[in-house]
Amino acid sequence: MLRLISKKLLATYSPISPCAQCGLVQKLRSLSLDDNLLKADIKGDYKFLDPDNHYQKFRQVWLENLDTTQEKKLGIISLHPEIFATKPRVDIIHQNITWQRLFRYINYACTKVTSEVRGGGRKPWPQKGMGKARHGSIRSVLWRKGGRAHGPRGPKPYFYMLPHHIRVWGLVSAFSTKLAQDDLHIVKSLDIPTDDPEYVTQLVKERNWGPSVLFIDVSDIMPLNLITATDSIKHINCMPGYGLNVHSILKHNTLVLTEDAASWVQGKLLYHLNQIKPPENIK
Amino acid sequence: MSFSGLHGRELALKMLQALPRVSHANLKPNPNFKPKNKRGRGQHGGDKHGAGNKGSGQRQNHMRLGYETGNWPFYLRFGFEPYYKGHHLKRQYPPLTLHKLQMLIDTNRIDTSKPIDLTALVNTGVVDCIPERKHYGLNLTDAGANVFKGKVNIEVQWASEPAIAAIERNGGTITTTYYDLSSVQCAVDPVRWFSRAEPIPRRKLPLADCLEYYSNPENRGYLADPEKISQARLALAQKYGYELPRIEDDPDYEMLIQRKDPRQLFYGLEPGWVVNLKDKLIFKPKEDYLLEYYRG
Repeated sequence: MLRLISKKLLATYSPISPCAQCGLVQKLRSLSLDDNLLKADIKGDYKFLDPDNHYQKFRQVWLENLDTTQEKKLGIISLHPEIFATKPRVDIIHQNITWQRLFRYINYACTKVTSEVRGGGRKPWPQKGMGKARHGSIRSVLWRKGGRAHGPRGPKPYFYMLPHHIRVWGLVSAFSTKLAQDDLHIVKSLDIPTDDPEYVTQLVKERNWGPSVLFIDVSDIMPLNLITATDSIKHINCMPGYGLNVHSILKHNTLVLTEDAASWVQGKLLYHLNQIKPPENIK
Repeated sequence: MSFSGLHGRELALKMLQALPRVSHANLKPNPNFKPKNKRGRGQHGGDKHGAGNKGSGQRQNHMRLGYETGNWPFYLRFGFEPYYKGHHLKRQYPPLTLHKLQMLIDTNRIDTSKPIDLTALVNTGVVDCIPERKHYGLNLTDAGANVFKGKVNIEVQWASEPAIAAIERNGGTITTTYYDLSSVQCAVDPVRWFSRAEPIPRRKLPLADCLEYYSNPENRGYLADPEKISQARLALAQKYGYELPRIEDDPDYEMLIQRKDPRQLFYGLEPGWVVNLKDKLIFKPKEDYLLEYYRG
């Protein structure tokens, strides 16, 4: 079954293979992390990055450019396998997007029970002697225009918190899924030469990044050209690193991270995956 | 695309390469992830709600616990034999094995270049000491004594003789100290204690039933005479047949002989001080009666 699916899809999807003929000098480098992120809480010996790990190899991806619509490969960088090539738990991704939808949702639907419906205080007819069924109120739930039994009693908030580690695993699974499906790209910087929306549209089209793209930088102050160019295109968006979330990652076809943003988010997630206990404020 | 020879994570990632893009449209939870709705809908949705038909069950007339509808209840048939009387008030010392202590050292959860006390042990996140369950501290047990290699200055609340021998064989030192419950509460979560702006408590003196334990040099009690403790160290080395390392010649001598005052809870902090973590300030008592209380 799987083989059939894959064969069928292979005909439609272009194969994902590194460009061997591009002729560029490949600069091999791995992302730099802050020193304090490499250290355990108590002593500085334990490292999250273990280049000699036999079971999980670093994922190497192309470093691309944005200053021309044509794709240029500027080098190769290594991504940590625990963040970008871990087991893609789609069920945890689903838990995350469900949580993101529900925690801010309030159901305002509300119905009236018997006592709240206007009228109905008087017994409509005597208990006995009428040959009719006994009734005490014309607003009983059995009556038309009566109260509602088991109806919604809003406003009902659906707020809940996902456990901290489920949120971390959600992000990690989303990154791994995106990278496995060739929907995650690392660029050197978000600088583009013009603020013309046509340039971004052309770039996205030429690189086959799909209609919707999410650009991620570390800080929330982004290059003016990119902000102006993407402002009028609703499906191409920019987001700072601290705003990264599973819903937005999945909402867009392609995720474009700057080199710094990838390094930053990788360090953050490695810290949260390896710490002994979560900090008090994010439980 | 070939999936042969791939397992687990690699297989899943390889499959994703060929599958349609994961998005909001094609995600769903695992089967049986969501619990079923409690009340059914439709014609019989609100009939009995699981309470059955007629009688005591339907009226949910739950009888009191142990009541046997007229029989002489089981719990009253025999005489009362209070084997466990007062067990909920007894002091508990959850075990900490030497094996676990070695694991904490190997995984860098504990810094052996400093004295180890209850706060350092609980701060690893692996050892639990819960004052609500009458945990008066930790009991160092001898399981894993043959694999224990650490040289530590450790302070526990109870220790067995082989555990003391295992610590001292490696050139370390051990003290058993009494912690009362409010001291344990402060020691296991100092941040919470400090955030309430309460002064660091003075450790109370041991209760009558354990005063002898903590005065005994064989238990390395904190109230014992240091002279007698060094004699007991030598005696234990002869009993277990190892050569006692001379800690006087040790480069970490200063650290190894560091001890707390019998009233002191944290190294470097005195009882009665109020610690403000936000502004990084320490407030010390000045009044004579306070000084007398906290030093007495």
